[in-house]
Amino acid sequence: MAYPYVSDREVRVLSRNFGDPMARRLDTYVERGGYQALKKAFEMGQDKVIDEVKTSGLRGRGGAGFPTGVKWSFMPKEPTKPHYLLCNADESEPGTFKDRELIRWDPHQLLEGCLIAAYAIRAKHVYVYCRGEFFETTQILAKALEDAYAKGYAGKDIMGSGVDIDVTVHVGAGAYICGEETGLMNSLEGRRGQPRVKPPFPAAVGAFGMPSTVNNVETLSAVPHIVTHGGQWYRQWGTEKSPGTKLFCVSGHVSKPGNYELPLGFPLTDLIEDVCGGMRGGKALKAVIPGGSSVPILNAEECADCALDYEGVQAAGSQLGCASVIVMDEGTDIVKQVRRMVQFYMHESCGQCTPCREGTAWMTKVLRRIEEGRGTEDDLDTLLQMSRQMTGTTICVLSDSAAAPVVSSIQKFKDEYLALIRRGERVGAA
Amino acid sequence: MSDTPFKNPGWAGNTGEFELSEDQVRGDDFVGVRPVGGSHPSGAATYPYMLPGKDPEAALFEGEYRERFEKILSRYPTKQAALLPALGLAQEVRGHVSPQTMDRVAELLDLAPAYVRGVATFYTMYNKAPVGRYLVQVCTNISCNLCGADDVLAAFLRYTDTELGETSEDGNFTVVEAECLAACGFPTCVQINSRYFENVGPADVPGIIEHLKAEAAGGA
Amino acid sequence: MADTPNTVTLTIDGQEVVVPKGTTILEAAKRVGEQVPHYCYHPGLSSPAMCRLCLVEVEGAPKPMPSCVTQVAEGQVVKTQSDLALEMREGVLEFYLVNHPLDCPICDMSGECNLQDYVHQEGRKHGRSKEPKRVFGRDDFGGDVLFYGDRCVMCTRCVRFMNEVEEDSRLCVVERGNRSVIDTFFEKGLEGTYWHGNIVDLCPVGALVSKDFLYKARAWDLDHTQSVCPNCSQGCNIDLHTRDNLVQRLKPRENLEVNGWWMCDYGRLNYEWINHGHRLEAPVVRGGGNVRAMGWSEALRALLDAGAAAPDKPVRAVVSPYASNEDLGAFAALVEELGGGDIVYRCATAEDEVPLKGYPGLARRRELAPNCKGAELVGAKRVGSADGRGGLEGVASHDGIVLVLGDALADQDADFGKGAALYVYVGQRGGPATDAADFLLPATSFAEQEGTFTSFRGRVQRFWPGLKPPGAARPAWLVLGALVAEVTGGAAPRSAADSFARLGQRVPAFGGLTYEELGTRGALVNETVTLSGD
Repeated sequence: MAYPYVSDREVRVLSRNFGDPMARRLDTYVERGGYQALKKAFEMGQDKVIDEVKTSGLRGRGGAGFPTGVKWSFMPKEPTKPHYLLCNADESEPGTFKDRELIRWDPHQLLEGCLIAAYAIRAKHVYVYCRGEFFETTQILAKALEDAYAKGYAGKDIMGSGVDIDVTVHVGAGAYICGEETGLMNSLEGRRGQPRVKPPFPAAVGAFGMPSTVNNVETLSAVPHIVTHGGQWYRQWGTEKSPGTKLFCVSGHVSKPGNYELPLGFPLTDLIEDVCGGMRGGKALKAVIPGGSSVPILNAEECADCALDYEGVQAAGSQLGCASVIVMDEGTDIVKQVRRMVQFYMHESCGQCTPCREGTAWMTKVLRRIEEGRGTEDDLDTLLQMSRQMTGTTICVLSDSAAAPVVSSIQKFKDEYLALIRRGERVGAA
Repeated sequence: MSDTPFKNPGWAGNTGEFELSEDQVRGDDFVGVRPVGGSHPSGAATYPYMLPGKDPEAALFEGEYRERFEKILSRYPTKQAALLPALGLAQEVRGHVSPQTMDRVAELLDLAPAYVRGVATFYTMYNKAPVGRYLVQVCTNISCNLCGADDVLAAFLRYTDTELGETSEDGNFTVVEAECLAACGFPTCVQINSRYFENVGPADVPGIIEHLKAEAAGGA
Repeated sequence: MADTPNTVTLTIDGQEVVVPKGTTILEAAKRVGEQVPHYCYHPGLSSPAMCRLCLVEVEGAPKPMPSCVTQVAEGQVVKTQSDLALEMREGVLEFYLVNHPLDCPICDMSGECNLQDYVHQEGRKHGRSKEPKRVFGRDDFGGDVLFYGDRCVMCTRCVRFMNEVEEDSRLCVVERGNRSVIDTFFEKGLEGTYWHGNIVDLCPVGALVSKDFLYKARAWDLDHTQSVCPNCSQGCNIDLHTRDNLVQRLKPRENLEVNGWWMCDYGRLNYEWINHGHRLEAPVVRGGGNVRAMGWSEALRALLDAGAAAPDKPVRAVVSPYASNEDLGAFAALVEELGGGDIVYRCATAEDEVPLKGYPGLARRRELAPNCKGAELVGAKRVGSADGRGGLEGVASHDGIVLVLGDALADQDADFGKGAALYVYVGQRGGPATDAADFLLPATSFAEQEGTFTSFRGRVQRFWPGLKPPGAARPAWLVLGALVAEVTGGAAPRSAADSFARLGQRVPAFGGLTYEELGTRGALVNETVTLSGD
């Protein structure tokens, strides 16, 4: 069950141990059937594991939604060089807090998923790249890993199978851009965490120049369940194109914010009204960001029919991303929140590409000026034109992400901008 | 890691539907004082970060810290890849990453000092200047912002009597804004040194400050 | 089984072009005359594709592609001047100008600045930013380099040059995002590096400037003349930048077989000596207690008479390794016509070579002069110490004919050549050691004449005159060639090419080479000659 609130609409697959402090212990995990999936994976063989994950239709849970089984199949089948599995635990997308919960309540689930994935892609080393701020979380993971090593679930000759896989917990140092897969690889190599140009792709040239695969924590945590029950089992939830369950991180102006594990395709209105106990203080809904701050904002109207799967959110005019639902009520100052989001991107931009480095800073300055009541109407045209120049022109999509809230808020909440520009009037407190 | 029975304002113990103690949520049997020598090499890079007692002149690296450094080195195919954990370890010992520290780490890893400077300044968590005993990082990003993070930040500045980014006169507190700390369901999230304080409201701030001051005075 | 072709045919701006597989679109576009604007790309460095200025439209691609890293594909249709491509590049240029200061009136780069040129060509007419610009200020990087941080476009060519080519990482990017700036490791700057001047060439804007050149001359006032660096025997191809008949600076010229795109700091900053005055400006003849300046014909006639009257003893001669192949060839021919003799030369020699680690084959060589090889090939032998002094005892006290070409004889005194039957000095400047000379003939320096040098590796390379010679100074090959012609009864050489051809007839190493063949890139001498001191 998800944490800190529970809903009977939930499907408890990955989150079944949330809120159970015993679950992170190895003996409890094994008692409850832990590491049996790993054993089964060794028996199935590498290619069968990949096929099973392909069948399940599991899509990357870090935001891009790329089919995981297909990603694994890009790795060479006959390794001539070391392969690496990189687990992306650099959870920094505003609104997202699922990976931290997954690691601190169920570290062995993640470790088992990492080991199965590493086995499938012929990797002998797994690096779990955790963001630097996760001190407590990484210590839980490190202790769990130590226990796993001690009992032969990681390292040499795992469970007597002859398979060697090492796992290392690597710690970052405070950079959102290291959550981008090539930025992560550069940071792992001890460089500035700047994204790389693709091609070449990670499966050809990745960490240390070797074939690598990067997967999100939630994606890897789902793997043991898929191996245990089969890919087809995973498809009993969700939709044809977006199968399975998803941890939705709900934050903002709802009564019961927190993580909830729900089948993909779950209606957004049900999530807010039923699962999360409705809007805080009974206020009216104004806007929702369905997938973390990098996706366009939806207004209340667009939320009405929105189904929370990759296709459904796209049809509503945004993207599912990492399913971090940020809910804003009628008292929200949209301009201030957009400025804060763009300021975040300005702070986190790596600085390589000119449109991002200069554009995020320029946008922040313009938005601040508007927020302070010193904006003009052609500032809005400038912002829209800047967004166009920042979309599709850079090495990674941070620049596109900064532009998305600006474009969508000017389109849908123009009156708020104009109120500030024309009369210096600000809407709302937060 | 403090073992003073301080009640963190929020950890779902009193906001959610779970009857849990703070220790159970934090995983106190897992999260204790990590052995300085690093225990198993696979987790040697995880570190407490910014111990209250810092020594800017401490040797890099001696004794158990040297042991941990060697364990970290053994996990990567190149020395360069150990740079981030090494800088973090240096900061744990010295409190911040000074030019001398960058030079020494460069020496340890056969890297050019200018290169190490380029990497160290890229990341937010490496302090380029000394900070107070407690580095108070208040998340003001969108989810916490929607739930009053600005007021929490103002409260911290008021009760520590500092300006944003400055260190208080008694040397105890430096208050800064942080980007999303990945605890958005528990607004406002505040990280103080290694520890997360969740569901912090402006009214909780004086209590937190008093507790930390007492800890500092008591020589914890 | 059919061969897979290793060329690719694609269309760029409506023109079909065939290029080798693996070529980037930017390089392919050069072949149809399209220079796509770019900053971070440089053929001698890695390609990070980060400036985003080289974006072009590729039919079928979902977004504009960076042409510096995108490889050509069969049948690709590329448009570098389409509305989309121009709009995207205009947008990137606008972003550059948001924080770039309006320093053109005080910036050294003005007139040769890529930002000026690109904005003029493709940028917006008016800036839209109303925000205050960020300020970094001026920083002394050490060595010859000043850094104006406000002007920097963050292409990181300088950082990558130091890392990848000089292989001495002295520069780094500090901070990230819009706070990022180039810096050194605190107080430790570029001192102790030998090739850092190249980052000033690489910088596309005026962020990195040479202290030596600061505020000296405007780019549009400078004339450029193709030449060869005279400061060591590597033979780096350079351009002389001149104004007011003075060399203002030296810049490297691309030659992938010699120096790539680079030159060392020693060579680059050692040009003031070319501008030194106190030149010999007219032929001077000393005789019968008189010292007289006279015209060339009269002086040469007098010289021939004196030569005929001189005793039949071997000639003792000194040449300079700064003289061109043509000068040396004519000189050697004259020595032969006068009965033969020994020719020596001195050369300052450094203790070590200074290689450019990231460009194999390029180094500041130990011989600190451009044409030691040329001297050796015409039969001269090296004498003297490593600082280029001494070794002339035999010449100084010779009682036969003493001939000197170009060597300044700075270490010799007024007794030099006093007892000579005939002492002829052909060179740029007089001094105590020329007091006893019977004939002082003014010669041009390499910067004032056309000619060739032979590099340490035997590469013959042409240079052209960038300065006007003072007074009546003439190229040594012209003067000496005329003398030889008088003695042998042939025709005098009328051009440097002619003189070079005659050299080729006398010295097999130069045989068969012509100025046309040498062009601007040079060619190797024939392998058939062994050299002394090798």
